[in-house]
Amino acid sequence: MITALLILHGLAGVALLGALTHQLVSLVRAGAMAADAGAVVRRDDSGKSTFVRRYVSVGQGGFTLAVVVLYVVTLIIGGVIYPTYRLDVRIPFEEMSLIWAVGLFEVKEHWGGIGLGVLPLYVFVWRPQQASSHQRDRFAITILLSFIVWSDFIAGHVLNNIRGL
Amino acid sequence: MQARLSPVVFALVYCIAYTVVLAMDWPLFNYYPQTGEFTWGWVPRLEHAGPSMTWYGLMATAGGVALICAAIIRDKPVASALRNSLWLFPFAAMLACVYMMRIFFRQWFA
Repeated sequence: MITALLILHGLAGVALLGALTHQLVSLVRAGAMAADAGAVVRRDDSGKSTFVRRYVSVGQGGFTLAVVVLYVVTLIIGGVIYPTYRLDVRIPFEEMSLIWAVGLFEVKEHWGGIGLGVLPLYVFVWRPQQASSHQRDRFAITILLSFIVWSDFIAGHVLNNIRGL
Repeated sequence: MQARLSPVVFALVYCIAYTVVLAMDWPLFNYYPQTGEFTWGWVPRLEHAGPSMTWYGLMATAGGVALICAAIIRDKPVASALRNSLWLFPFAAMLACVYMMRIFFRQWFA
């Protein structure tokens, strides 16, 4: 059961980082294109539908609900399997003197907890009416959430490779 | 009258509260996974119950404080005053967490 939940936790994490990364890349690309507008004729503006253009030409705001739902689902599943980690993984880490691994999980859990509280702000800055007034907040909050999700995902994999549930 | 919660106030207060409750070790409750017991508030840790887990309680404390503030304080003045600086709150909270966890990484620099 715990193994199934761990796999589900990982899959939800993959979907979450995919959605956030897609949104962030699209946001960065849109910003770069706006900055370049009218300055130079871009090489890939010849009308051809490149992979990058298709990748970034998405409704960025449409990802917001998916990100919130996936974040909450991933966190809830993580919260369910956490007691098993505390008993079956963390104690062996301490016995093996892998204190840095314990610390890595501590940072992962606290950043995950902070990310949960940031979700209302994330939704706020992605409202269409905040597009111009909170542009830097939108960019920075999306980067921060992406950083939390990517680092938590990598930390989870590293810890699971050292000692799985 | 319809009650409205301020998302900006909630997030900012949550980040500050989370950092403070983590630093002060003020979880709303503790969970002991070995025995399945809970203790509420700031009572001493149970010696017989094995390792304790504070993470749920830390989020509950920070969330509770943030909810109260978000119900009282309106969004607009806060969002306007801190326009384009809102992201600094979660960023600072993340840095503070790493600083508080530095003890775990000392062996790397020994």
